[in-house]
Amino acid sequence: MAPEKIDITINDKKVTVLEDSMLIKAVIGAGIALPTLCYHKDLTPNGTCRLCVCEIEIKGKKRLVTACNYPVRQEMTVWTSSERVQKHRKLLAQMYLGRWPNVPVIQDVARRCGVTDGAAFASDLTDPNPKACILCGHCVKACDEFIQERILDFAGRGILRHLTMPFGESDPHCIGCTSCAHVCPTGAIQIIDDTNHPVDPDMIRRHGMKVNAEMATLDKNQCCMREVGTANIVEVMDRYDLLPVHNYKFGQHPDTYKVDSQVLRKKYFTQNNPDACWFGCSMSCAKAVDGFELKTGPYKGHRVTVDGPEYETVGACTNMGCFDPDFIVEFNFYCDTYGIDIISAGTGMAFVMECFEAGVITTADTGGLELRFGACDEVLECIHQMSRGEGFGVEVGQGVRQLKEKWIREGRGDAQFIRDIGMEVKGLEYSEYVPKESLAQQAGYAMAVKGPQHDEAWLIFMDMVNNQIPSFEDKAEALYYFPLWRTWFGLHGLCKIVWNDVAPADNKKYAPQQAAKIPEHVDNYFKFFEGMTGEKLDEEKMLAQSARVHNLQRLMSVLFGFGTRAEDTPPYRSLGPVTEEEYLSRAERYDGQLRSVLGLDPEKMTLDEKRATLRTHRESQYQKVMDAAYARRGWSQNGIPTKARLRELGIDLPELLALAAD
Amino acid sequence: MIRVNNLHDIPWREGLTVQDVLDHLKYSYALITVTLGDELVEPERYADTSVPDGCAMTVFHLAHGG
Ligand code: SF4
Ligand code: SF4
Ligand code: FES
Repeated sequence: MAPEKIDITINDKKVTVLEDSMLIKAVIGAGIALPTLCYHKDLTPNGTCRLCVCEIEIKGKKRLVTACNYPVRQEMTVWTSSERVQKHRKLLAQMYLGRWPNVPVIQDVARRCGVTDGAAFASDLTDPNPKACILCGHCVKACDEFIQERILDFAGRGILRHLTMPFGESDPHCIGCTSCAHVCPTGAIQIIDDTNHPVDPDMIRRHGMKVNAEMATLDKNQCCMREVGTANIVEVMDRYDLLPVHNYKFGQHPDTYKVDSQVLRKKYFTQNNPDACWFGCSMSCAKAVDGFELKTGPYKGHRVTVDGPEYETVGACTNMGCFDPDFIVEFNFYCDTYGIDIISAGTGMAFVMECFEAGVITTADTGGLELRFGACDEVLECIHQMSRGEGFGVEVGQGVRQLKEKWIREGRGDAQFIRDIGMEVKGLEYSEYVPKESLAQQAGYAMAVKGPQHDEAWLIFMDMVNNQIPSFEDKAEALYYFPLWRTWFGLHGLCKIVWNDVAPADNKKYAPQQAAKIPEHVDNYFKFFEGMTGEKLDEEKMLAQSARVHNLQRLMSVLFGFGTRAEDTPPYRSLGPVTEEEYLSRAERYDGQLRSVLGLDPEKMTLDEKRATLRTHRESQYQKVMDAAYARRGWSQNGIPTKARLRELGIDLPELLALAAD
Repeated sequence: MIRVNNLHDIPWREGLTVQDVLDHLKYSYALITVTLGDELVEPERYADTSVPDGCAMTVFHLAHGG
């Protein structure tokens, strides 16, 4: 429930604010400055310095409150500078100035309170150091809230209060993120070494701190990455009909609630940041499950720690029709332990299950395993076999492409059906999103250099939900920009997650085409680059950097026989409904398209006719989107980078020109 | 009738609010930006902002994940 807007009165002026927001925000919003020492806009207030006091009246009762941590209420009248307030502040300012006479922020705040002399409060505690610690607490909170460490804290009471690390010693767990130094208003904490010697460490730090602040303040109302990591989208994908179920036949399932992020949060996740994949990351999206007792395999009965599950792990399991969270964690553990890719295992097994249910294979092939959708125990047994190099597991371990070719070669069932439902491109299994209703994503998947992984392009919302890239040219532009932008992260060893798994609160000010890029976050990365190297970066330069590598990758793919139009063509399951059951499950959608897009009357068509017509239409649309994307990328209509494009990018080496198209 | 994202036509009725439209389309995503014509609608106003008949509404979903 979004908070209500209410009216309050500040210094005789009416202002509208969100109920329960802190009074200081309303005061600042009304253009009134308050003296503060312990307030920081991105950190939880604790009201210790008491300089921000204001006088308020509610229902005839007047009192002084600290504005930084007092929530606004209906019918509240506020005076920010009444006589009582001024007297209170003045006394405090004298005390602060008496103790820290040479600290600039103290001098400044005292001046604003009308105090220039703190001599009356001079004592043994008086510290003449201009960079003395004034006990504001910013550093303690930044360590905790920005990066979820608790290295710093206060010890001692009253006048003995002081800042310290555990046991008064330098703590080896401090990761040197510098958040504490960045927020320190006096310079009491200083950075004495910048490893890697960036050209402009402050530039990097300023932009990194923006990310930290967004994580501390926005994430809990946006993606909850800190709380549940990437698993937060399990329920989102289900709601938008995008969660793969039964080998991508469907995008939703009534049992998704059994494996969604709330279940993982409440019953499984015990650790944040087990990967430490990016030292000091304030998002720490990786999660872990501790003390999980395994039910199968060589470690049966052991209590283990499991790194995950991520969204893709859950998606791989729903794709197999497995909605048991214990199974998901066990599958996660054994895939990791055996070194099996979870996505390929899940998507591969889902294909096997559909083939089993369709009679392409039987228990005679599987060594007796009834590999139907939802067969959790059988999946685990198959994974164990795979690891031991035994039985049907060995066959499944070859991957979808090998299985397809083998079963077609052996004349099992309908070859077209097997081709249509085997969800791989270039020999790699699809990751866990249903792309059927997004033409741009179908291409984003199938044209990706390494195969259908979504880390080159995830365009489903832009395309299918927002309808913001309706023409082929629009889609081609998205298929140009996003793969290059995402390639850029890899080039620089930077994680993509803080680009779009948290968004600035005011990203809404941009029109959709720009908003989708999250311009301020793109700028953060440009500043990381500039701060490190000294070289300014803009979109054009970034795209050129990436395009050189992306085209090189594509040429490598050409060299290995994968970089062609034929290899960019997906199985039909990625484009539309293969089976009758699948068509009927979304008949309203598909009939609607026949009617509105093709001008046909589905009432007058048989189910076979409808499926065939839709297929012809969708396949031709896909060809058109490939044409447009190739043209935008400077590739031939066979999907091969042209010599002209290589020259333009300055990578026209003889070896590469030999692979390029004319 | 109102049109959402130039994609969905939704029958209009007296008192139809932004929240009703979001519920109707099952749009329950965290990173949504709603505009009515050119006007941005803040989340705390979804429930009491009426959608005029014939209005073009956009519900922009900022992709995350992926
Ligand atoms: S450098 Fe980072 S981890 Fe170390 S004390 Fe400061 S905020 Fe905490
Ligand atoms: S070290 Fe700096 S940030 Fe920390 S309490 Fe002291 S003055 Fe505040
Ligand atoms: S700023 Fe409010 S108590 Fe310090």
